[in-house]
Amino acid sequence: MRLPPLNALIGGGLIGTLCVVAAVGAVWTPYDPLRLSFRHKLAPPSQLHWLGTDEFGRDVLSRLMAGAATSVWISILTVTLAVLLGTLIGLFSGYIRGWFDRIVMAFNDALLAFPGILLALGLLAVVGANKYGIILALGIAYAPSVARIVRGTVLSLREKEFIAASRVMGNSEGYTMARHILPNCIAPLTVLATSMFGYVLLAESSLSFLGLGVPPPAPTWGNMLAGSRAYIGQAMWLGIFPGLCISLTLLGINLLGDAVRDRLDPRMRGSR
Amino acid sequence: MNRLLASACLLPLLASPALAQTLTVAVAADVRSINPGVNRDDNTDDFALQIVEGLVGYDEGGIVQPLLASKVETSQDGKTYTFTLREGVKFHNGAELTAADVVWSWNRYMDPKTDWRCLSEFDGRGGLKVEAVEAPDARTVVMKINQPNALFLDSLARTDCAMAGVTHRDSVKADGSWDKPIGTGPFKFGEWKRAEYFTMTAFDGYVSPKNDGKPDGYVGSKRPLLKEVKFLIVKDPATVKAGLTSGAIQLSEVLASDVEEIRKIPSLAVATAPTATRHVLLIQTRDAVTGNLKLRKAIAAALDMEEIVATASNGLGKPNNSPIYTRSAYFGEAQKQGHRYDPAAAKKLLAEAGYKGEKITILANKRPTVPSFPAAVVVQAMLQAAGINAEIEVIDWATQLDRYNKGNYQMQSFSFSARFDPALAFEQFAGPKDKQPRKIWDNPEAQAKIDRLTAIADKAERQKLVDELHKAVIDEVPLIFMYNGVDAIAHSKSLSGFQPWQSKLRMWEVTLAK
Amino acid sequence: MLRFALTRVAMALPTLLIVAISVFVLIRLIPGDPASLMLGDLATPASIADLRARLGLDQSLPVQFGIWFGNLLRGDLGISINTQQPILPLVLSRFWISAQIVLVAVFLASLVAVPAGVIAAWRQDSQLDLALVALATLLLSIPTFWLGLLLLLFFGLKLGWLPVVGYVSLGDDPWRGALYLIMPILTLFLHEIGVLLRMARASTLEVLRLDYITHARAKGLSEMAVLWRHAFKNAFGPTWTLIGLVLGNLLGGIAVVETVFTIPGLGRLLVDAIFARDYPVIQGCMLLVAFTYVLVNLVIDLCYPIFDPRVTAQ
Repeated sequence: MRLPPLNALIGGGLIGTLCVVAAVGAVWTPYDPLRLSFRHKLAPPSQLHWLGTDEFGRDVLSRLMAGAATSVWISILTVTLAVLLGTLIGLFSGYIRGWFDRIVMAFNDALLAFPGILLALGLLAVVGANKYGIILALGIAYAPSVARIVRGTVLSLREKEFIAASRVMGNSEGYTMARHILPNCIAPLTVLATSMFGYVLLAESSLSFLGLGVPPPAPTWGNMLAGSRAYIGQAMWLGIFPGLCISLTLLGINLLGDAVRDRLDPRMRGSR
Repeated sequence: MNRLLASACLLPLLASPALAQTLTVAVAADVRSINPGVNRDDNTDDFALQIVEGLVGYDEGGIVQPLLASKVETSQDGKTYTFTLREGVKFHNGAELTAADVVWSWNRYMDPKTDWRCLSEFDGRGGLKVEAVEAPDARTVVMKINQPNALFLDSLARTDCAMAGVTHRDSVKADGSWDKPIGTGPFKFGEWKRAEYFTMTAFDGYVSPKNDGKPDGYVGSKRPLLKEVKFLIVKDPATVKAGLTSGAIQLSEVLASDVEEIRKIPSLAVATAPTATRHVLLIQTRDAVTGNLKLRKAIAAALDMEEIVATASNGLGKPNNSPIYTRSAYFGEAQKQGHRYDPAAAKKLLAEAGYKGEKITILANKRPTVPSFPAAVVVQAMLQAAGINAEIEVIDWATQLDRYNKGNYQMQSFSFSARFDPALAFEQFAGPKDKQPRKIWDNPEAQAKIDRLTAIADKAERQKLVDELHKAVIDEVPLIFMYNGVDAIAHSKSLSGFQPWQSKLRMWEVTLAK
Repeated sequence: MLRFALTRVAMALPTLLIVAISVFVLIRLIPGDPASLMLGDLATPASIADLRARLGLDQSLPVQFGIWFGNLLRGDLGISINTQQPILPLVLSRFWISAQIVLVAVFLASLVAVPAGVIAAWRQDSQLDLALVALATLLLSIPTFWLGLLLLLFFGLKLGWLPVVGYVSLGDDPWRGALYLIMPILTLFLHEIGVLLRMARASTLEVLRLDYITHARAKGLSEMAVLWRHAFKNAFGPTWTLIGLVLGNLLGGIAVVETVFTIPGLGRLLVDAIFARDYPVIQGCMLLVAFTYVLVNLVIDLCYPIFDPRVTAQ
C-alpha cells in the first residue's frame, strides 16, 4: 500500500485537529467564553490567558475554541445548502433545457449579479439576524455559482457517447443523471465548495465590518476577526489568532479537497 | 477695542503662514445638502451653523442667548417677541444685515416649498404658531405667536432647525431654487465635492459677538482665525487614526476605545467633553415579559452602572440615571439619585415577578459613533449573571429605528440626541403609546406635568416638576438612562483654541501654528 | 458571431428585468424608512408624514413601482432621496472610479496567478505546489479590510510613501490620482491572486489528465512545449470564465476596500444607500451592476474561443 499523498496528510491533519478542537470547545473551554472581566481588558498572552483577552476581558483561547464549533457548523451547513440547491437547479436546467432552462438561468444570473450584502440584509431582515439567517442568506447567495458550473458540465456531457449509450441501454433519465452526469460535476464542485467554505468564514466578518454585525450569541471566528480590527495597534493578538485559525482551516480544507477530488474524479481512476 | 487692535497688528506678523494654511478635519459622513435646515443631519447642521447664524442661539450651557440680535424683549402677555439686531453685521457678499432680510429669510423657511425640517414646529401643528413677522424699522424684528410658550426661543435656537439661520436673498437663484448659503457666519461656503470633501473659508468681514475672545456655545466670540477648513470624508475609524498619525488629518472625532492609544502619540492631543446625548436602555412596557414592573425593577437592580459605563465609554463617561444631562442647570441632588446595583434584590424581585427564564432580546446596532453594541454586551452579561435569559440581536440602524418607531422590541440599547430644555428631554420619550407607538413612557399623570413644564418659565417651579418626573422614571423603569455621551476629539498639537462642545466641531477661535 | 452576440444581449434583458423587480421588492421588504432615518429620534408624526409625502413614499407600492419603471423606460432613473442628485450621472461617475481599480487589480492578478497556477499543477504534490497553494490560501483567508489596513499602516504610516487618506481623481491630476489608487489596487490584487491561482491550478490539473497531453508527451514534445501549447492554453478557458464572475462580484464587493481607502466608488455608494434606505440609488446601482455583469460575461463568452481552441462560438 502506498502512503497517501502529501496534501491528504497535511490536509487531514489540519482538519482532524480542527474537529478535535471544535468537539472539545463545544463541551469545555478554559474560561467561560461569554464571561466579562473588567480587570483584564486587552491583556496580552500570558500564563493566565494563553492567547490574551479581548476588549471586554474575555479569554481569547476560550472564544476561539467555542467559536470553532459555531464557525465550522455555519460553514458546513451553508456550503451544503448552496451545493444542494445549486446542483438541483443546474442539473435540471441543463438536462431539461429549452424554456425552463432560459427562465431558471435568467433568475440565476439575476441572483449572481446581486451583491451579497444586499441579499444578506434582505434575507436577514426576513429570517431574523441569527445563525440560521446567515446560513440561509449566504447559502442562497452562493447557490447560483454552483448552478452555473453544474449546468455547464451537464450541457457539455449530455451529447457524449456514454450518456447516449446509457439511454440506449434503457436506463431511466434519473439513473443516467445520478450515475453518469453527477460524478463528472464533482471535480469542479470540490474546488468551488472548498473556496466557498472560506468565503463563508470570512463573509460574516466583512458584513460585520460594513456595520451589519450579525453575531450569533456565541463567538465566531468571523466576528472575532472583524471586532479585532479596531485594536490592531494595541492588541495585535486579537486579530492574529482567529485569522490564523481561518487560514489553517482553509488550507486544510483545500488540501483535503484536492485529495478527495483525485479519488472521486472518474477520469482520474486508474491514472497516475 | 484694544483686543481688536492687538489682534489686527499681530495678524500680519505671526499669522501669515498660519492663515495661509488649510486645516483638514475628518468627518464620518458627507453633508446631505448645503441648504440649512432642509435636507439635513447632525453633520450637515454642524457645517451649516459655521456659515449661517440665527437671531438667537445656545450658549455653552444650552441656554438660549441673543446672537444676531443684541437683545430680545418679550411682551407682558408673552405673545410678542421684539428682536433688536446687532449693528454692523454683514453677509458674506458684503451686504449689511437688515430686519427686512430676517423677514425674507423667515418667510422662505415658512414656505412649504422650502421643505424646512422645522416647519411643523412653527405653523401650529405642534401647538405653536408664529402668526406674524414684521420689520418696523431696519434694526427691529417683531414676531407674534398664538399663545405664550416657554420654549419658543428654544425652538428658534434648535440646531436641527439650523437656528432658522438668516440667509441673504442671493442665496437663491433667479428661478427660486437654492444656490448656496450666503450667511453672516464666521466662515463662507467654499467648495463641495460630493463624497470626497467640503470646505469653508474665513469671512474677513465677520463681526463677532464680544466675549473676550472666548467661545461660548454658538454665541460667544467667533472670530475665524483659519484661512480655510477642509472637511474630508473618512468613514473607517482605523483610517482616521492613521491619517491623524501621519498628519494628513489635523482634527477628528475619534472612538472612545482609541483615546488611550492616541494620547500616546507625541504629535496628537485628545480633548474630551460630556454632551447632552443620553445613552439608554429602552424597555417595552407593553411586552408580555418586560411589561411586568417587578421584572423591570429586577433588571435595573441587576446592572452595575459603574462597570457598564466604564466599559462602554472606555472610562471616559460617568453614570447618570437621569433624563437631565449632567451639565444642565436643572441637574441637582434629586437627579443624582439613580438605580442601585443590588444583585440580591434583583433575585428577590425576579422571584416575585414570577420570571421563569423567558428570553429577553436586546436590540443593538454597530454604528461606531454610539456605544449601542458594547453597552448591550455588558448589560447582557450582567443580566445573565442575575439569572435573566438575555440575548443580543444586532441589526442595522435603519431597522432598529424602524422597530423603535413601531414600538416593536423588548429592550434596545439606544441613544437619544441632545435636548437641552428639561421639558423637551422628557417629551422625547413620554407620551401616549396608542397614538405614537415610539413613545416609551405612557403615564397620563406625568404627561400633565410635562405639559405644565412646557408652559411655565419660573425656574423653581420647573425644578420641582423635573425632580418629581425624575423620581417617577426611576420608580417605573420604562427605560434606564445609563450615561451622557462624551465627545472625544483628537487633534494635532499645532492646533490651539479648539474646544469640543455638544459634538459640534466649531472652527472659530481655532488657530494653527506652523 | 454577431447573431450570437445579439441573442445573448436579448437573453440578458429578462435577467435585467428580474433584477429590477426583485431589487424593488427586496429593499422594501427590509424594515426601515428613509424619512424616519433622515429625521432620527427628533421626528414627530407630522414631520415624518410631510417628508414621506414629499418623497412619494406615501403611495402604494405598485404605484411607486409603476412610476419608477415608467421613468426607467424613458431613461430616467430618478433622484437620490438623500442628496437630491440625479441617479444616472451619480452612478456612472462612481462606477468609473470602482471600475479602474477592479480592472487593473484583476488584470495584474491574472498575469501573476494564472502562470503560477499552471506551474503548481504541473508540479502537483511537490513542495513548490504546496507552497503556492499555501500562499494562495493565506491570501484568500485574510479579509480585505485587514489586509488593506496592514498595507495602509505599512506604506502609508511606516514608510510614508503613499497618502493615507483622501482621493484625487485621475482626470484632475493623473500623477497624484494614481498614488491614491496604488494601495486599493494592491489590496484587491493580493486577494484575487488567491482566488485565481487556485482556479488556474485546478483547471490545469483537469487538462493535464486528458489523453492528448499523454499523446503529446508520448510524441516526445518537450515538457515546456506541452505545458505551453496544450496545458496553458486549454486551462485558460475556465479561468477566463472565472475572471468574468470575479469582475462581476467585485463591483458589488469592493465596498470594503473603498471604505478603508476613502475611495468614493460605487461599492461605498451602494452600501451607504442601503443603510440609508435611499431606494432610488440602490435601484440604480443594482441595475448598473447587473448590466455590467451581463456585459462582462458576454464579452468573456465572445472571447472564449480565442483562448480555448476546443470551443467555437455557436
